[in-house]
Amino acid sequence: MKASGFPYVLPMLLLSVAFFATPLAVLVGFSFIGPDGPSLHNYARFLGDAFNYRVLINTAKLGMQTIASTTLLGIPIALLYWHSGKTARQVIIFLTLIPMLTSNVVRTFAWIVILGRQGPISETFVALGLAERPFTLMSTELGLVLAMCQIDLPLIILPLIAILSRTPVQFTEAAQVSGAGPWRILVTVLLPMMLPGLLAGWILVFASTSASFVTQAVIGGARNVYVPQLIYREVGTLFDWPMASAIAVVLLLSTGILLVAMTTISRHRRLVGHA
Amino acid sequence: MQEFNITRRHFGLLAASAAAAATLPFAARAAGGMAVAATFPGNWEDAYRTTLTPLVKEAGFDLTVAPAMAQDQLAKVMASPGNPPYDTLLMSPGQMAVAIENDLIQKIDPSKLKNWSLLDPAFQGEYGPTVTVEVNGIAYNPDLVPAPKGYRDLFENPAYEGLVSWTGFASNTGVMAYSEIAKIFGTGPTDMEAVFKLFKEHPEQLKGVVASTNHQMTLFQQGEIAVFMCSTGNVAKLKALGLKAEFAQPETGSPAAPVNIHLTKGAKNPDAAYAYMDAAISKAAQDKLKMPPTEMFPTNRQVELTPGIEAYVKREQLATLVYPDWAAINKNRAEWIRQFDALVAG
Repeated sequence: MKASGFPYVLPMLLLSVAFFATPLAVLVGFSFIGPDGPSLHNYARFLGDAFNYRVLINTAKLGMQTIASTTLLGIPIALLYWHSGKTARQVIIFLTLIPMLTSNVVRTFAWIVILGRQGPISETFVALGLAERPFTLMSTELGLVLAMCQIDLPLIILPLIAILSRTPVQFTEAAQVSGAGPWRILVTVLLPMMLPGLLAGWILVFASTSASFVTQAVIGGARNVYVPQLIYREVGTLFDWPMASAIAVVLLLSTGILLVAMTTISRHRRLVGHA
Repeated sequence: MQEFNITRRHFGLLAASAAAAATLPFAARAAGGMAVAATFPGNWEDAYRTTLTPLVKEAGFDLTVAPAMAQDQLAKVMASPGNPPYDTLLMSPGQMAVAIENDLIQKIDPSKLKNWSLLDPAFQGEYGPTVTVEVNGIAYNPDLVPAPKGYRDLFENPAYEGLVSWTGFASNTGVMAYSEIAKIFGTGPTDMEAVFKLFKEHPEQLKGVVASTNHQMTLFQQGEIAVFMCSTGNVAKLKALGLKAEFAQPETGSPAAPVNIHLTKGAKNPDAAYAYMDAAISKAAQDKLKMPPTEMFPTNRQVELTPGIEAYVKREQLATLVYPDWAAINKNRAEWIRQFDALVAG
């Protein structure tokens, strides 16, 4: 008789129930604690404030902007890897992974220098005559997207590399022989081939960006408010935990819906066929 | 090539040895036990760890200094009532009122503090000793801006445009400054509508709002900002780093906040906590803590003020400083935080 694999997954299952499902259930339970007993009071309060809607939209927008920028930068790097020799591939992998070995906090603080008035971006623009005087990208959405893009870039490059490593380079040669130009090859051959990797990367980047409290707070400043900052404010400053739990559940649901949509697309029969 | 083999028995021995090794640090600990003391991160944390650890050790106890902002200390203690993560808390009267209201701290027994009698009565709180008084004002970079006369100057003098940074109402330093601004532009210290109106009329000021004073110090170091609301300790730290930073006392008076050590309810080692409190108010400790880069105002009468501290405030001036009404602030703070955050986010 074929042995069941269940005993092997039991420890992981128990750990997941104890350290993920139970705290999550407690969090959800907390969110229904109202001033006069269990109610939807916290949800009504959160969703009844137009400011909170804007924060939710800004959080989703930040995730999308980071996805767009990491995709634009990640695809050329992954293609370079695909066409490189063994040594160059190792260098690309090393350069991709090395930022991940540095703490997110350290990388975020390094961006203060880069985005500041005396930083390389401002100085280059002034030197080229593109700006009259030094400027700062701190506390701006553009600065935050730039920082998030660098921090999350490996999350999109690695799934792309995983897909491309299993794909023969001759695919593009075959397309060339058939008379396709470079752009046609990119759109009709390479992008459909990379789509499952892109979707996996987008899910990771979106999840990472929308929850990146430190970078959002330090680079974005107080003008750019995102959902994790609202949760922190309710927990650490206002001590309103039921409200914080309700906001966390709303964040979980809103990002969850987007992630489920992306995962569903990535598992579509026609897309899986390309992997 | 030699193969690496490990038997199940060897693996078991290795695991047992590792587990035994983990218990070794306990053997090296002082017999009296350990106090876990929450202190503010940065300057405070460094100074308390280096200065107080040896003194607490002399008393037969160990000390673990755990950095956390006052609001975070409260949040963590509230999260585990009856089993607090800290034996002592470090906070100003604003947070102390919240801690008392939520039954998080207990009254102390002064007879357990040898140095208690060396504190002025004003520093002998029933919930714990005052270890310093933070004098607040305006930090500025003299290379970039003129010395500000006061809060009004920051809004009306074009020299400061785009160079001033503010924090939200969650910061004690911020809320003390806003109370003063409310007095200047409104009807009294709690008239925050006047403050919000002022910021609406000066939208350029909203660009410089960040989360905390620590964040402002980083931005000040990078030349991103030239002015921020601060304590004398913040300026002392910046000066110790070799930065051009000066402290300006507002013409309307300097807001001040005593900083106290409190014993948590359910503290695991009260004796060690008392040893830590006693060390913090001792002459030996405060003689060191009054020096740069901390320059903490000493509450122990036997400790002479340094010229650096006297430049900010003298002992006889303590009574003339502005002490905010924390009960009124706490009553309105949540609403102010929400309103200001929405205003800043546009």
